[in-house]
Amino acid sequence: MDSADPEALDRLMVRLASGDRSAFDGVFESVWVPVHRLCTVLLRHVPDADDAAQQALLKIYEQAPEYDRSKRAMPWVLAIATWECRTIARKRQRRREVYDTKDERTHADAEHDIIRRQLAELAVATLKTMSTVDQESLLATFWETTTTTSGPTLRKRRERALDRLRDAVRRVYGLD
Amino acid sequence: MVSTDFEVIRRKARVRYELRRLRMGVVGALPLAVVAGITVLFAHDRAQTLWLGVAATLMAAVMIVYGRSPQRAVLPGIAAGCVPLALALCANRMHGCTDDACASLCLPACALGGVVAGISVASVAVQIRLGLGFWIPASILAILTGSLGCSCVGYSGIVGLVIGYGAGVVPALLRRLVGTTRR
Repeated sequence: MDSADPEALDRLMVRLASGDRSAFDGVFESVWVPVHRLCTVLLRHVPDADDAAQQALLKIYEQAPEYDRSKRAMPWVLAIATWECRTIARKRQRRREVYDTKDERTHADAEHDIIRRQLAELAVATLKTMSTVDQESLLATFWETTTTTSGPTLRKRRERALDRLRDAVRRVYGLD
Repeated sequence: MVSTDFEVIRRKARVRYELRRLRMGVVGALPLAVVAGITVLFAHDRAQTLWLGVAATLMAAVMIVYGRSPQRAVLPGIAAGCVPLALALCANRMHGCTDDACASLCLPACALGGVVAGISVASVAVQIRLGLGFWIPASILAILTGSLGCSCVGYSGIVGLVIGYGAGVVPALLRRLVGTTRR
């Protein structure tokens, strides 16, 4: 059955409410996709959305015998799903297991910042082991400023300085 | 999600659905159980009335759990059955006495109650235009409910109820069946 056909779902729900078990599978097929989609959008976490959709579906069937025939089925179904998502979101908050993408991004950014800081410290420490000319070339590259030398000479110096920096890093941290 | 997961959810959903229907059946049959309990208190043959009460209550519960037309037949069936039940309970306390002897009014009360019950069920069935799926369960439930009171004079009371019920319901049923075949 087409899950986008609300009138067909109304008819199926009325049949199920009156005890017609042959409408059982039809309701399941019509309701699962929208309920799961809604839970995924609301919770933004697939395992939680699966749980919420399952619980919502069980509640829908539990309440199906008392379904109010004068009301539309799909809003009723989605209201149950929303309520279930709310319950799961509250449980999640209580467990302090917040999985939403914003927090995941913040966590990733913090990790990235730490790595960058460590790399910078490493670069500064390594820079101190290099000659003044190399230091000057690298700093000029970093700040994109020109030194007394320019053109191909500077480029060559930069390349050599970068190679030596790379070697120094490898040596210091035993990456060889 | 894997298809086995869907099967598990489907099975769980089915169990929840049936359990809710079962609860509805128990709640729906409860008033009849109360009526049966009160009737047992006034009955001469308490064991027989108790069995009839249990049968009527179970029947009502099963009809509600099953759903569809039998579920819709529960209330009209019980309501119709309460007429011979009430008449029989009243007649149980009265006697039609002449100079020579006294006769119990239970049997005529049951027959009269049966006629009224039959007409009530028939009128409801005609009104809501339901088929035999309504007529048969409603009739069984009405007769079982009425039997709670009509067992006052033994099986003859129940037979009187059934005959009266038939007299009330058969004309309307025949009219309906004939009407259906003509169309």
